[in-house]
Amino acid sequence: MITGRPLGWRDHLVGLVLAVSYCALLLATSRDLGMARDEGFYVDAAERYAQWFELLAEDRDAAFEQANIDRYWENNHEHPSLPKSLFALSWLAHRTWDLFPEDSMAFRFPGMLMSSLVLWLIWAFGARAYGRAVGAFAAVAWALMPNVFYHSHLDCFDVPIVTMLTLVTYCYWRSLAEPRWAIVAGIAYGLALETKHNAWILPLVLLVHWLFFVMPGELAARRAGKGKVTTLVPWWLIAFAVLGPPIFVGLWPWMWHDTAARFSEYASFHLHHVHYNTAFLGRTYFGPPGPIVFPFVMTLMTMSVVVVILAIAGVALRARALVPPWLVKRLWPHGRVEGDRQCTDVLAFGSMLAPMVVIAMPWTPIFGGTKHFIAGWAFMAIFAGIAFVRVARAAREWAGERVPAIKEATPAVTAALLLAPSAIDTVHSHPYGLSFYGAAAGGVPGAADLGMMRQFWGFTTGSLVPWLNEHVPERGSVWICDTLPSAWRMLQRDGRLRDDIRASWDLAGADYAIVHHEDHFVEVDYQIWMAFGRVDPVYVLTYDGVPIISVYENPRRAR
Amino acid sequence: MTSRPPPDPAPAAPPPRAPTQRPRASRAWLLVLALAVVEIVAHVVTQSRVVPWSDWQAAAARVRAEWREGDVVTSAPHWADPLMRAAVGDLLDVRSAGRADLAPYSRLWQLSIRGHRTPEAPQRAPDHVELVGRVRIERWDLAPEPILYDLVEHVMDAEVALIEGDEARACRPQRGGRPSGGGLGSGPMTPAERHVCDPRRPWLWVGATVEEDLEMLPRRCVWQHPPGEEPVRATYRDVPLGERVVLHAGLWWEHERTMSGGEVDVVVRVDGQEIGRLVHRDGDGWKRIEAAIPEALRGQRGTIDVDVSAPNPHLRTLCWAASTREAAR
Repeated sequence: MITGRPLGWRDHLVGLVLAVSYCALLLATSRDLGMARDEGFYVDAAERYAQWFELLAEDRDAAFEQANIDRYWENNHEHPSLPKSLFALSWLAHRTWDLFPEDSMAFRFPGMLMSSLVLWLIWAFGARAYGRAVGAFAAVAWALMPNVFYHSHLDCFDVPIVTMLTLVTYCYWRSLAEPRWAIVAGIAYGLALETKHNAWILPLVLLVHWLFFVMPGELAARRAGKGKVTTLVPWWLIAFAVLGPPIFVGLWPWMWHDTAARFSEYASFHLHHVHYNTAFLGRTYFGPPGPIVFPFVMTLMTMSVVVVILAIAGVALRARALVPPWLVKRLWPHGRVEGDRQCTDVLAFGSMLAPMVVIAMPWTPIFGGTKHFIAGWAFMAIFAGIAFVRVARAAREWAGERVPAIKEATPAVTAALLLAPSAIDTVHSHPYGLSFYGAAAGGVPGAADLGMMRQFWGFTTGSLVPWLNEHVPERGSVWICDTLPSAWRMLQRDGRLRDDIRASWDLAGADYAIVHHEDHFVEVDYQIWMAFGRVDPVYVLTYDGVPIISVYENPRRAR
Repeated sequence: MTSRPPPDPAPAAPPPRAPTQRPRASRAWLLVLALAVVEIVAHVVTQSRVVPWSDWQAAAARVRAEWREGDVVTSAPHWADPLMRAAVGDLLDVRSAGRADLAPYSRLWQLSIRGHRTPEAPQRAPDHVELVGRVRIERWDLAPEPILYDLVEHVMDAEVALIEGDEARACRPQRGGRPSGGGLGSGPMTPAERHVCDPRRPWLWVGATVEEDLEMLPRRCVWQHPPGEEPVRATYRDVPLGERVVLHAGLWWEHERTMSGGEVDVVVRVDGQEIGRLVHRDGDGWKRIEAAIPEALRGQRGTIDVDVSAPNPHLRTLCWAASTREAAR
């Protein structure tokens, strides 16, 4: 039994083209983005890991000694190592063959690659489940979400984990009718665990799907003499259990010694995660409970309203298929939409909602950004694709009656028009991706009026570089606020920021000081007033007229 | 024999129309296309309304041309404050930017965008309104309450001591050097000039700084962290007393917002006589009291003590601003 519509090599060629095109776009636009705070941590870790890989190549026995593993793998051991290992390998390759125009790009490239692969996956899932038009629209809609576009550039784990979660979900879905896919699902799950801790929650989501939808539906269908479609043995779960942990531990040298204690420390870090600040609708949150509506409002405000409406419409169109198969005859006896035996609609719907629901829970740590639930947006894009098909058909029929000559081009024109707001938003959001708000918020100034989060991670320092290069005197110093030192150094390694401009940690002694404008960072403004004895910044970097970074000049330097 | 060719068959009746596989899509779906157009237009409109820096500069030039001593300028919405300060911030000193209230000022200027107004503005129409580009200039003429003596600005003239039973252990005035501190979560800067009370307790100093109140607004004030149940005292001698003392006090917001700290007492004495007491509890924010100068002392000069104590001083980062003033108008 094949799951969904079969796809041929031409289809996968389309997926490959989508992925390669997106990766090329990410590479081309990477230079505009200074490194964000967390990227700096992962660069530091990747450079340590790279040293271990070099040791592995030179002296394998030494590399496996606990002292060396601890030495090289202790850095950032609160996160698993797969993405950072890829960053390290990419960095080593760049150092050997000079592959990229900038060091930062070498670290970022694996993230971009994984971010591009998710397009292929969305395309394949959408096309197989609902048709090629759905898959194509969904992949492009995902790629053109401004927050996705920003995060896809980074040497971070947030989009790579989306790729892995989507891959695992896809393999699980295939395994329902084709048990051999369970092995691939198990391997993918191990890699997902090794990518980011979000993966720990996924089996629960899939188990709910399998236990409450697939199994009862399959049993009911068999009793009704409709034959066998899915297996009653949860091969996927067995594969997860058998293959996941060994891959997780096997690819993470830090876990090779004192495994139980180190795993416990790793779990404890995430179970007792600190709260980050976030500003939401005029209030700054420091601890739970966070606002339940946060992920939903942020979704609405940071992407095109059209895509959100299409996604909601897509869910509405498939609503009958979301009812459990064993209940549908009772609850919704008549309707054209029929769910399949793999309960694909339920899987997509659950995968869309689960990440947002997890973040919405009052006991979930406050994280702030959209990056923690964008995995759901991949499936949101698929539902948007479902509604797109309906819009395209309406447009085709309408155009066919009036201008038959353009009838055949109508779907493409429809897709282009529906995705135009997303494309405009994405172009406009770059390089201020995290500061971007769309039409639902009234744009960036509207979001500022509403008291929404302005930015985090100090990621905007890169946009300040032209001003710094022009105004900071030779060997001048800058107090760098939320910029991580390694992110600052990377601007210099990349040749963007003048080498002689020094980062300073002595506020009162620095020649210049910067403030990243976040609600709670206003404290730093007041500190600078005291340190410099003045309240007027010499420069304010703005995005759509909204302050992003202020630069103050120390009057002692001006003398 | 020839035979006539068979007549053309009668045209067959058209086959019954095959049932459409799909019903026609509702025209309502076309509304989504219209929505896409609306969203694009909305983007253009939003961009066209972005306030350019040149408007701020032009508005600043207007304010600068009319500026008088006793004026103060603010912005609305609050998020535009860095732009206002970049444009006209040189007209403000730290004291004005971190003012306790508007009492000493004769005129309030406001540079605002997007239809906002600062909550600080009087609840009446402004005395002057002007639109410069997209920046709106408004000015309110105020009835100032002249400050006779600002205790914050004279903090280094005060004598500061830890009161321990009947003893007063003097804090050492420190002058020169540079302010220290800075960074997210590190609290107000430690000023270069301050009274150092106990080097083993580095937070136990008294001096003027800028503290962020519970509303995250800047307050130029005297940091006077209580040492415990016994107070730390700042004594100001030969102060022109006027008719009242206006005192504001608050805690650094990071310590107040947890709503888990104890009370802090601030007691104001004139010539040894208690005239006012402010009890600050978490959630009070930037709190104000007015204390009347005893009638016999009005218009005279005298000694003002400000005592700060707390049963549990942990994270009680109290900062106050006070001044002597004439009667309110």
